[in-house]
Amino acid sequence: MTTAALTAGLERIPDQLGYLVISEDGVLASAGELENDEHTAGVMMQMVRTASRFRLPGSAEPPFKRMSVVLEDFVYTVTVSGQKVFVVKRQNNQQEPIGV
Amino acid sequence: MGCCYSSENETTEQDSDESKPLIPPPNPVSKPPNGTDWMPTNVPSARTDEQALLTSILTKTAQNIIDVSAADSVMMEQHEYMDKARQYSTKLAVLSNSLPQKKALALPSLTSQPHQVLASDLVPYSDVQQVSKIAAYAYSAISQIKVDAKEELVVQFAIP
Repeated sequence: MTTAALTAGLERIPDQLGYLVISEDGVLASAGELENDEHTAGVMMQMVRTASRFRLPGSAEPPFKRMSVVLEDFVYTVTVSGQKVFVVKRQNNQQEPIGV
Repeated sequence: MGCCYSSENETTEQDSDESKPLIPPPNPVSKPPNGTDWMPTNVPSARTDEQALLTSILTKTAQNIIDVSAADSVMMEQHEYMDKARQYSTKLAVLSNSLPQKKALALPSLTSQPHQVLASDLVPYSDVQQVSKIAAYAYSAISQIKVDAKEELVVQFAIP
């Protein structure tokens, strides 16, 4: 898959503010508010690695398709496909704040 | 004639050894690197102790010399280097077969349609709130776990 093919779908995601495509070797593509954001890429990579270590009993695969990092104004949605990590920063339109 | 130096022999054969070299010359076939011939094995009785000592030092030195020019024959040929390189890379290729599995475990494939998964609706606020609440309860419960000692940990058995 070419880089253009990887990112074409990401551009069309509703309320997206920016995105990252990361491989084992580093950032492959970035745009919007996440353009050249190596720091966020590193943090997201570590978070998804940690999350994907969880296994439910009797299951070999991680029990989720997407990881969401929910903040007050925006959400990072993260998934892994074909040894690439996709991170999309989306606007959080839900009004009520989340008490931490 | 043996070529091993032994202190025991020296003490037992002390009388006859006085005119002999302290160390007998090694195998007559072997020659020093410079090509000079060895001293005769049977040293004439006229030889003084000093000369005998000198001979022993010479012999010892000759034995300790490492002939660097002789090492040339051990040098590897070009094709031998290539053979070894190929041998090592084959071994590495076999060993590295186990590595990609580890890599795949570190970064599993969560979906085959990343764009759809990322574009789908965000997690409802109520769900996030519920999970936060459960996590807060769990944290609170764990922090309140404590040992409530009611009995003695070490109990004496009733021994008459």
